[in-house]
Amino acid sequence: MTEEITESEQSFSEDVSFSEAAPVKGQGRMDAAWGSQDGDDSGTAQVSSNTASVGYVFEQIYKPWNGSLNPRWMRNWAILRHHVLGIFRKGHRPWGLPTKLFMVLVFIASLGDVGLTLLSALIGSPELHSMWGVNRDNLYGHVFGFFPRNMLYYPILAALLVGGVISEDRYHGTSAMYFSRPISRFDYVMMKYISVAIIQAFVVLLTLMIYYFVEIIAMGRGWAWIIDTFPLFLAAFVGGIILVITYTSIGLGLSSVSRGKFFPGIGLVAIVLGSKTLAVLVSNLFERDIMYLLSPYDCLAHVGQALVGTQTTYDQYSWTWSFASLVLMNAFFLYILSSRVASMEVTRE
Amino acid sequence: MSDSDYIIETTNLSKSYGPHVALENLNLKVTKGATGLLGPNGAGKSTFLKTILGLIQATSGDGTVLGHDIRTDGAAIRSRIGYMPEYDALNPDMEAIYQVKYSGELLGMNPIVAMSRAHEVLQYVGLGEQRYRNIGSFSTGMKQATKLACSIIHDPELIIADEPSNGLDATAREFMISTLQNMVHNGNRSVMMASHLMDDVERVCDSMVLLHKGKLAAQGRIEDLKDIDREIEIHVWGNASKLEEKMVSIGLDVRREGRIMRVLHEDEDTTTKILSCAAEVGSQIRRMHEYEASLEDLFIVIMENLGYEVKTSEDLLRSPVQARQVDAPSHMGGGS
Repeated sequence: MTEEITESEQSFSEDVSFSEAAPVKGQGRMDAAWGSQDGDDSGTAQVSSNTASVGYVFEQIYKPWNGSLNPRWMRNWAILRHHVLGIFRKGHRPWGLPTKLFMVLVFIASLGDVGLTLLSALIGSPELHSMWGVNRDNLYGHVFGFFPRNMLYYPILAALLVGGVISEDRYHGTSAMYFSRPISRFDYVMMKYISVAIIQAFVVLLTLMIYYFVEIIAMGRGWAWIIDTFPLFLAAFVGGIILVITYTSIGLGLSSVSRGKFFPGIGLVAIVLGSKTLAVLVSNLFERDIMYLLSPYDCLAHVGQALVGTQTTYDQYSWTWSFASLVLMNAFFLYILSSRVASMEVTRE
Repeated sequence: MSDSDYIIETTNLSKSYGPHVALENLNLKVTKGATGLLGPNGAGKSTFLKTILGLIQATSGDGTVLGHDIRTDGAAIRSRIGYMPEYDALNPDMEAIYQVKYSGELLGMNPIVAMSRAHEVLQYVGLGEQRYRNIGSFSTGMKQATKLACSIIHDPELIIADEPSNGLDATAREFMISTLQNMVHNGNRSVMMASHLMDDVERVCDSMVLLHKGKLAAQGRIEDLKDIDREIEIHVWGNASKLEEKMVSIGLDVRREGRIMRVLHEDEDTTTKILSCAAEVGSQIRRMHEYEASLEDLFIVIMENLGYEVKTSEDLLRSPVQARQVDAPSHMGGGS
């Protein structure tokens, strides 16, 4: 290969040889990189074109919105969805993990009689079925049984649910977000009340429904049996509604007087279990049963017994006394709830 | 100006809590644009805001907000305004995007629309990259921005911002102020801003309403109101005390801070009088210029004057000298 060095290459650097056999000293590349005789004296810098991304530049542009706002029912639906879907999905009310876990546990535990009904149907055991299958006493027991349901399950679940529903709005100031919107105090309370009641109903009433319909399917019950037992189921269902309403009223009433969720929660459990304990103590010590009228659970049980038609515990008194007591308890706590919510501020607490 | 140009209008609006009068015969006309709501603690600002939001019933008097009666159309008013509360109003366990979305749903927005709009407004308030973070992890400035996003999700005609720059550091405060300015100037929205930070109010607002003890102390354009106390500032070298005495003796109203004096600019002859006095006592006036009062100066002067008895804004605007002499004490230039 002949060495052909052009004129321009010669002028580039006279010391540099570009022949194939020339020793590699790095000088040629250095010259190419850092210097040449072209343009060194020029006052204009030669720079590469700017093709690199310069990143994101924040530009604040106000975008108008020309949509229309939906009426009252949509706003109320939003409150309901926010609370109820918060149990199941992200992006809604953030219920605490213990609350969700406990709810799942209580739901599964409440289905204990369903499991045993299925088992009795599978193994064909009439003894087991007579203990756990659908009948008057078991329907009552599913909703109103004291141990474990109304001792460990439902009051504690209600306490976990209602504890922060109103009080946390007061604590975080989120009440301002509600009341600076076209939401009335009544709608605010009503939708929160219904939301909490629906979540409790998932556990108390949904499991009752599952229990009843599993019996029909597993045992192959016919119309005659359904016609016989459906009123009992309905009575238990109505009793369950009263139970959910009562626990919700007491819990929300306590939540409205607090700024945290501990006091309302522990207060609800204390009222339900404490008054029951007190009624038992007074009954045992003084042989007077009248104290049960102050116990929400005893009154609920009494009304439930009357509705379902089982043997009443306090048969020396009419169930209507218990019902009247429940009405008074609900009215009292709803009054507290409404008066406290009416005093919630928008500007400051 | 026609009635439709007023976004807030009240006539003899009063609100009493038992014997305590929180608002007394308030006659206000707030125009479109940015208006500052000023007043010391207990002046009635919160009561005023609650009344115009339709949350509490006025004891007497009438009022309209965006053409809606505050007595009967509270829900309609709250649909058309955006309220940004002073205190925390956010759930710290929620992500910002869902909190803003929920605030839109509470106004009646469809959930899908609310979500889409939540992205837009969070972008607008500078939280585009932070929108999926829990609010509990936000700084104070980010929380304020989230509250602002909640209040503007439905593109309200009037935004009521209660202490929007409270507790913010310099950068966050600057951003909040510029955002409010942007909404007014580029978004063509109206803002009513309650604040104790006069600089912020002055930067955002064209007009102001000053409440004191439940009464209207002053109302109007800030520039106009600042004119009520035009002063000439002079920097004196030598015989400052003598010069002060001389100027006071010929009836000039002088405030002195060492070598710097501010003389009330009463008429065209004021400068001549100052120079004559300086020549007589042998003082050098090294510098003389019109002192431009800040809103804070205005606020202090008005509140000093009104600490004794509230006068109307007409009094304040009609004649500065006369206004000062209505009921301010003599050491402040008053006649009583």
